[in-house]
Amino acid sequence: MTPSTRRLLERALPKVFAWLLLAFLFVPVLVVIPVALTDRDYLSLPNNGISFDHFAALANWRAGWMPSILTSLGIAVASSVVATAVSVAFAIGAWVYVGRWPSILRVVLLSPLIVPPIIYAVGMVRLWSKLGLLDTWLGVTIVHVILAMPLAVLAVGASLSNLDPRLVQAARSLGARPETIFGRVILPNIVPGTVAGAILAFIVSWDEITVTLFITSRGIVTLPRKIWTSIADAVDPALAACTTVMLAVTIVGLILRMTVWDRIAQRRP
Amino acid sequence: MTSFQRWAFCLTVPAALLTLCLYVLPILQVLALSFTEPTLGFGNYVALFHNAAIGRVVRTTVIVSAVTTVLTIVMSYAVAFALVHMPPAPRRVALFMVMVPFWISVLVRAFAWITILRRNGVLNSALVGSGAVSEPLELVYNQFGVIVGMVHYMMPFAIMLLYANLSEIDLRIIQAARSLGARPVTIFFRVWLPLSVPGLAIAGLFIVIFSLGFLVTPAILGAGRVLMVAEYISVQISSTLRWGVATALSTMLLLVVGILVALAMRSPALRAAFEGGRK
Repeated sequence: MTPSTRRLLERALPKVFAWLLLAFLFVPVLVVIPVALTDRDYLSLPNNGISFDHFAALANWRAGWMPSILTSLGIAVASSVVATAVSVAFAIGAWVYVGRWPSILRVVLLSPLIVPPIIYAVGMVRLWSKLGLLDTWLGVTIVHVILAMPLAVLAVGASLSNLDPRLVQAARSLGARPETIFGRVILPNIVPGTVAGAILAFIVSWDEITVTLFITSRGIVTLPRKIWTSIADAVDPALAACTTVMLAVTIVGLILRMTVWDRIAQRRP
Repeated sequence: MTSFQRWAFCLTVPAALLTLCLYVLPILQVLALSFTEPTLGFGNYVALFHNAAIGRVVRTTVIVSAVTTVLTIVMSYAVAFALVHMPPAPRRVALFMVMVPFWISVLVRAFAWITILRRNGVLNSALVGSGAVSEPLELVYNQFGVIVGMVHYMMPFAIMLLYANLSEIDLRIIQAARSLGARPVTIFFRVWLPLSVPGLAIAGLFIVIFSLGFLVTPAILGAGRVLMVAEYISVQISSTLRWGVATALSTMLLLVVGILVALAMRSPALRAAFEGGRK
């Protein structure tokens, strides 16, 4: 082996390997698309031409996909609003308050990011069955609020860490009352973090499956729960159609995030 | 306390009440139940160590988690290392290819892998069709399938953590090594790798923690044949109703996670991320 081919190998091989791994990450997800377009009525690749029937089945109310989508949307919007409101209040309070309390509370608040959700599921099944909140809107929404708060707190906290504390000092020295400072000085300055937090909270609730699986049965069927049972049955190609739509939404969202959001962020100094 | 400070304190109260009453308390109750259900004492823990079925579940969990972590870290490091060296345009494409699986639901990914790996799935059809194998391979509903799915789930996390760590490395150190005549392989093993140890440690700990308590992917791709701790707990609380065993296993899992986090918290970077707030 000549030195130049050796150098080429040293440079090219890692690159080829990395792109193969990127393909391993990205390509398998795309497999749901051809399955969604199958012309047969069971999970398979298209045989004689493609068909959009399974996408139509998604819209069919009695097939159960639409009710699940609406259930998930409702719970995700509700838990995102509550989680964001509580997290914004906490993040601002913790940013202003002097003392150990906020940093201790922050560790507890962020712990759902690390504690395996199955442990929380065990606890909540017990608590909700005692309080009669199993399989109810309220029960699911509360759990989703708790699970969504960590990411909302992190997003709002990131926005706050860019805020100049002298702004608050200036407002105070000019005699602004506390509610004015929180509402008209701090809040308008952390809008980007709040929006990001709300979106993250929505996504957490929309995707949540582990705890939801245990605290719901027939009454509340969120979309992840519907997908879960549908995977277990392993027949209906509407499952592939549904996952294809979710994939499309994710890709569009990411492209927007990578283009539009960055441009907005650049405009705000 | 000034009225301003009192206001700030009040703002933290709703979050505090929510997490304490509806997160911390239910989990404390799980810990308590492991000592009281069905009878008071350490009976559940004695049973854990004498039950052959639970022993098998723990062994499976440890093996699958260990293999997943090693594979995830090695493969993610290769991607993160390449990302750091890419020009901006291909890097955007590569990051996009990492972020799509990162954001897509874990259920969609598990379903995609079932479609690919099952007996009459995409991969087996292609292999049999091309004549590479005569019989379809058993690729899923076994440890292999579970590990493929888990590595695929963990890699985007690990790549983002490692990429953040590698981008912070001062490139002038690399230039210095090169100008002193070090060959690429030497630079990699003597400069890049030692400087990546903190990132590798954090990513590794996260992956181990996520793997040990993972329910969805092992349950779907294992289909009951690769029983890991989380799925075993779920069976105990939803079908056999052995709350004592379920809560004792949960407590052990929480203890292991706690020890791992305590280890991780010795890293200043992670501690800062968790405590954050006012500097």
